[in-house]
Amino acid sequence: MFLFIVMSGLALFFFTRHDAFMYRQPVGRIETVTTTHREATTDSYHNHDEEIQQQVTLRIINGRYQGDLVTIRHTYSQSGGLDQSLRPHQQVFLNVTYDGKRKVWQFDNLKRDTTLAMLFWTVIVLLIVTMHLQGLRALLSVALNFALFLFFIQLDVQLNLNHFFWLFALSAFLFTLLSVLLVIGWNKQSLVVCTAIFLGVTIALALGYAILQETGNRGIHYEALDFATQAPEQLFFAATVIGLLGAVMDAATDIVATLFELKRAEPKITKRQLFQSGQQVGKAIMGPLINVLLLIFFAGEITMAVVYLRTGNSIAYTFEWTMALGLAQALISAIGIVLVIPTASFLATLVLGREKA
Amino acid sequence: MNSITVLTLILLVLMAIVGGKRGVVSFISVAFNFCLLFLTVILIAGGFPPLAVSAFMGICILAITIYMGNNDERATNVAFLATLLVLGAMLVIIIPFDHWAMVAGFSNEQSEEIEAFNLLIGVNFSAITAAVTILSTLGAIAEAAIAVASGLEEVIQNKPHISLSELFTSGRNIGFQIMGMTFNTLFFGMFGGDLSLFVLLYKLDANFGYYLNAKIFVRECMLVLYSAIAVIAVIWITTYLMGRKVNNLRKTDR
Repeated sequence: MFLFIVMSGLALFFFTRHDAFMYRQPVGRIETVTTTHREATTDSYHNHDEEIQQQVTLRIINGRYQGDLVTIRHTYSQSGGLDQSLRPHQQVFLNVTYDGKRKVWQFDNLKRDTTLAMLFWTVIVLLIVTMHLQGLRALLSVALNFALFLFFIQLDVQLNLNHFFWLFALSAFLFTLLSVLLVIGWNKQSLVVCTAIFLGVTIALALGYAILQETGNRGIHYEALDFATQAPEQLFFAATVIGLLGAVMDAATDIVATLFELKRAEPKITKRQLFQSGQQVGKAIMGPLINVLLLIFFAGEITMAVVYLRTGNSIAYTFEWTMALGLAQALISAIGIVLVIPTASFLATLVLGREKA
Repeated sequence: MNSITVLTLILLVLMAIVGGKRGVVSFISVAFNFCLLFLTVILIAGGFPPLAVSAFMGICILAITIYMGNNDERATNVAFLATLLVLGAMLVIIIPFDHWAMVAGFSNEQSEEIEAFNLLIGVNFSAITAAVTILSTLGAIAEAAIAVASGLEEVIQNKPHISLSELFTSGRNIGFQIMGMTFNTLFFGMFGGDLSLFVLLYKLDANFGYYLNAKIFVRECMLVLYSAIAVIAVIWITTYLMGRKVNNLRKTDR
């Protein structure tokens, strides 16, 4: 087993280091790097940086130029905001253009597939070592959801709807169904969980939308949304509904599972006690769950916020243009998490209360 | 009033109604964490080393998340220790992988947003990216650690003479359930945030090779994978520490 794990890792490493033949774009392996020029820079905000020029020789390892030794000039900055230094043994994608008859090579992108594959391999190995084969089942849910996610992205691009939010709302509904079925299976319990999630998320989003409309979106700039190629406001709500889904599922499943278990252990339990227990479970998990989403949504904005702050923008302006959207997303999600607690407790109590002890 | 303020007030009211006193405490812990994150940004922008700042703030965030709103002393102490160990381990994993993958800073797909800026601002973007990665996984590891520790605590309460191997089996069962849900939370949280990125990449008509090597896509994937590693590790370490603690206690009893 141990040997198999090590061998599979080595094989994967070896393969991804030698898979350049599968790419159409020329790939070069860096042989030597020499620094030819360094220049200190200072911008108008007194930020000191350095621009460095490298002369890099590479061996082309695929395509029709295979075996050629080429030389490129490469410039990068010490801080590395949009560029990077090159090191020997790295494999990089190159672009080639013709200047008359002379070929001019240029650095395009680093080949990152080896790193990605090795990290993925590490996760699989950890899962198998700690959870045995059971661990792979946890991945199955993620993989299926990912496939569904990509399918809906494709649908969104191809249909190009005006009101594409509803497409992603539908996808959220299917995500819920799929995940809950995989975790709990098809029974009364999963029905309660799904209904609770549906109600909680719908109320939270409607509430969030109403508040944003009512306050005239003051302090919110949808146009600051990254990568927006469609109506940014709808995109924001679509991202929010998908983003909060996991956390809400977590809360609802926890509460409903506990209440069903309680009823099984103690059939004479009253409706009131059941509801109270559900609330207890909910109270314990709501803080940590909200923190999970806050950290995910907020951390993503840090890099941009640092750039804003270093280039002479005020803290208030930086907050409005980089963090406000992420924070609004976290707040609406938090409202969803809080609302699903009484919803799940109430629905579970309703269903269990009707059963005769 | 500002939209964010109104949303925050509504959240506070709802948390107070649903959670009572404990709900208000949870709200305060979230608010504290937000302030710490904000302070992190300001300190990093002020030129402090990003990794050191985020490691320190990370410890504070973990302490707040774990100790505020949880009363069981043994479970919280074990959970806190486990998350600290995982925080250290994450630094050890993230630094070399980020060094190989070079996913720091911004990617070409983001050029529209950053074209107004001169990026020669003298900060270490690779350290910032590592700091962001660590911070975004903290919430998930704190949540998983508390869940495993309090689950095991309950097992120990109900069955005081449980053997160590039985305890580890329980730990694995509890951990497995928690892991599935935490993966979901992370997956939806992270990919939900990246929705617009995925739409953009699809519109660019990118081929498979592009996805495996593009800076932005690789970075987001690595973020999900790092957090998966962190969650698996924290479940395992929490179970182990809980077992050790019980074992030590029994030895001193005898």
